[in-house]
Parts: sequence; structure tokens; C-alpha cells
Amino acid sequence: MARNTRRAGVTRNGSALISIDGVNAHALKNAARKVATANRRHRAGVSTWGASGIFDELTFADSEAGVPSMRTLLLLYAADLAFRLRWEIGPALDEGRLVIAAPYVATPIALGQAAGLDAQWLADIFHFAPPASEHHVIDPAPAKPLSQRQGFVEFAWRHLDTRLSGLTRLELMDRTRHHLRASAQRSRSSGASR
Amino acid sequence: MPSPSFEQKLRRLARSHFEDRSRRRGLLVAFEGPDGSGKTTQRKLFKTWLKSDGYNVVTTKWNSSELIRPIIKSRKAIRVLSPLEFSLLHAADFRHRVENVVLPALWDGKLVIADRFLFTGLARDVARGLDFDQVLKLYQPLLWPDLVFYFSVSARTSRERIAATRTPTFYEAGQDITDIDEPTASYERFITRVIREYESLALIFRFITVDAEQSIHDQHQEIRRLFREGEQRPWSDWNLDAIVEWLAIRDAQA
Repeated sequence: MARNTRRAGVTRNGSALISIDGVNAHALKNAARKVATANRRHRAGVSTWGASGIFDELTFADSEAGVPSMRTLLLLYAADLAFRLRWEIGPALDEGRLVIAAPYVATPIALGQAAGLDAQWLADIFHFAPPASEHHVIDPAPAKPLSQRQGFVEFAWRHLDTRLSGLTRLELMDRTRHHLRASAQRSRSSGASR
Repeated sequence: MPSPSFEQKLRRLARSHFEDRSRRRGLLVAFEGPDGSGKTTQRKLFKTWLKSDGYNVVTTKWNSSELIRPIIKSRKAIRVLSPLEFSLLHAADFRHRVENVVLPALWDGKLVIADRFLFTGLARDVARGLDFDQVLKLYQPLLWPDLVFYFSVSARTSRERIAATRTPTFYEAGQDITDIDEPTASYERFITRVIREYESLALIFRFITVDAEQSIHDQHQEIRRLFREGEQRPWSDWNLDAIVEWLAIRDAQA
């Protein structure tokens, strides 16, 4: 992580949203735990993808129902994030708590860019997500394929399979990491965070 | 999605495919309008007529993707969808059908009848308080129908026709946003807003408005006539982005 984890980005009323993005689900989980531990007195909590159950249902869908394209999958991620914001992130912030969203919006945006989707469209579909007080990118790629429930990029890879214009798993991971690094750099230079 | 040179190749392929006058090109006809406007009855009559005229017809209905519909249905049943989640999930359902039903059929030269299209999402989502431009972006790359028939009825007629057959469901009645406990009363309030949005869309996107208060027979005759005029419209590049993206996916699958 680029910055230290102690009392990161906490506002006057004690609430703060910290985003941690990356392709490596284990690394994300560890980083989120570290930040939560360091901010125990702010009753820090972690919000992760899939809270709405949408992706569980997708996993168990009839094979004849087809597979989602990257665009469809990212619309589903946006719906899942809207759910997380309404039921997890928003209420916790209202209580003056610190929330770590891991992943937040940078991961799906980078994944979409890796698959060649228009960056503006990707930004537009996540326009509803409030900016985080701090944004961190966890860079290491997973050494080996993770289970599909362990990371959104891994999940996407398994569900999209060959529909990604011939990208291999490693190429998808590398391209996503490249776009994540670029987003981290942009947010560092602009001071903004997403 | 594809590399620039491959994308150019796909654009040329799409143009030559849809501009080829030696065969019947795929046509997309959308039926839009509030519940109770009789569009489903007209869609069925229209389909029967087209088939008798030799058209290969495919129908797609709103919120009918086999992959996404169960996700929406389970959430509607327990009434947990916010307007934003409602909007995003319906956009996902739409995209999945565009890629798996609509575009493959158009490519094969079929005539696709859409019983509701993206305008339903726009009208309902904006009536629920979402921003028009933001909702429209969810549906990009846009796929415009060759013809849009808009079945125009008053809120009162819509309410009366629905109430005569059933009680509107929670989301159909807009009870998630009206705070009215009685479904039919909520429905009338909500459908008034939806119709207002439809009327704006009809102007902006130049729908063909059908007076849905006319008799079923008269409406059907009018639709036949308007279709004959409209089917001659040439292929337009408006849909090129959506088609190229789909061709790239299809190519990767192959």
C-alpha cells in the first residue's frame, strides 16, 4: 500500500471511506484487515464485493441462460455496489464509522478498460459512488488462479472465459493491474480518490 | 473492445452486411407504452401478420433475459430494490438480450419485435427520480430500433384497464417511491409520471404514436400501414458501435 494505514482519511465526525483496489483477493483482504485493525477505535468495517448475492445467483444460473459479457457483468457489479452503499457503507458512515471498501470502483473500471471498454462509460456507470477519502491500490498479481469467489477479476475471468477477445487470464490480470496503477497515479497527482 | 485495425474491419463488415440490398435486412421494431395500452395485443397481431407475409420474426420482451431475470425477480419479490439498483439490473438484462437475442437475429436478417425497449427503462427510471442522461448512459452503446410504435393512452385509461384484470404489483404500481399503500392509487400516480416521460421521449426520439384508445382493429390497420412506410428506411450507422462490439464478442467465441 502506498500510504500508512493509521487513522487514514478520518473526517471530523469520525466517518471515512477508504477504498482498496487490486486484482489479488488475498492481498486485498490482508490490507483491508490491517487498515481495520489500525482504526479499531473508529469501529472500522470492511465492505467487499458480492454482498447483494447477485454473483452467487449468477454462479448457479442454468448453463443455458448464457454468460454475461464484460459490459453486462460490470452493470451487475454496479448494482451490487449500489446495494453495498445502501446497506453497508452508507449506514456505517452515518454512524461515524470508518469503512474500508475492498474492492470499490477502481477494480471494475480497470477490468473494463483491460477488456477494451470505453473509460468514460465505465466512469459514468459508477457516477453514483461517492469518492473515497483515501484510495489505495494493491499491486501484486495472484501467483496462481484463486477460487472464483476470492476476487472479482478472477470471477470475471471464469465467467467470461473466451468472450474477452482472446485474452488469457494472465493478460487480463496484467492489463487490469496496469490500469489500476494508472488510476492510483492519477488520484495521487490530483488528490482526488475513487 | 477490438484493436483499431480489427475494429475498422468489423465496421466495414457490419456496413456491407446491413447495406446489402440483395437480401432482406434485419429490422428492429419496438412497441412502447404504459401498461394497459394494449401493445402486447397489437404485438401479437403484428407478428401473425408479418409471419403470413414471409418474415422470420423473433420477439423479445422486457426483463426476460434468462440469466438476469431470476436475479431481478427474487429481489422484486422481497421488495428490496432501490430505484438505482432497479435501473442497473434492468440495464444488465437489456444488454444481455441485445447481445444474445436481438443482434444475432438482426444479423441473420430477421425481424425483431421488442415488446418494450430501452425507452421503458428510461421512462420508468426517470419517473423514479433518476437523471435522464445518467440512465441513457447505462444503455450505451445504444441500439436504436428502425421503428418505435408508441401506444398512447391516458393515465386513467391505463389504470382502468389494469384494475379491470388484476392488482398491480409493488414495483409496477411504483409503491417503492409513491408511499401510497393502495396499489391502484399508487399505480395511477406513478403511471402519470411514466406517461409524462414517454411523451417527452416520443418527441425527442420521434416515435410513431398510435392512439391506443382506438379499436384494436383500427390500431392494427394503422400499424400495418405505418410499418409498410417505415420498413423502407435505409440502414443507418447509428447502431454501428453496438454491432461492432457484438461482432468482436462473437468473433472471440468462435
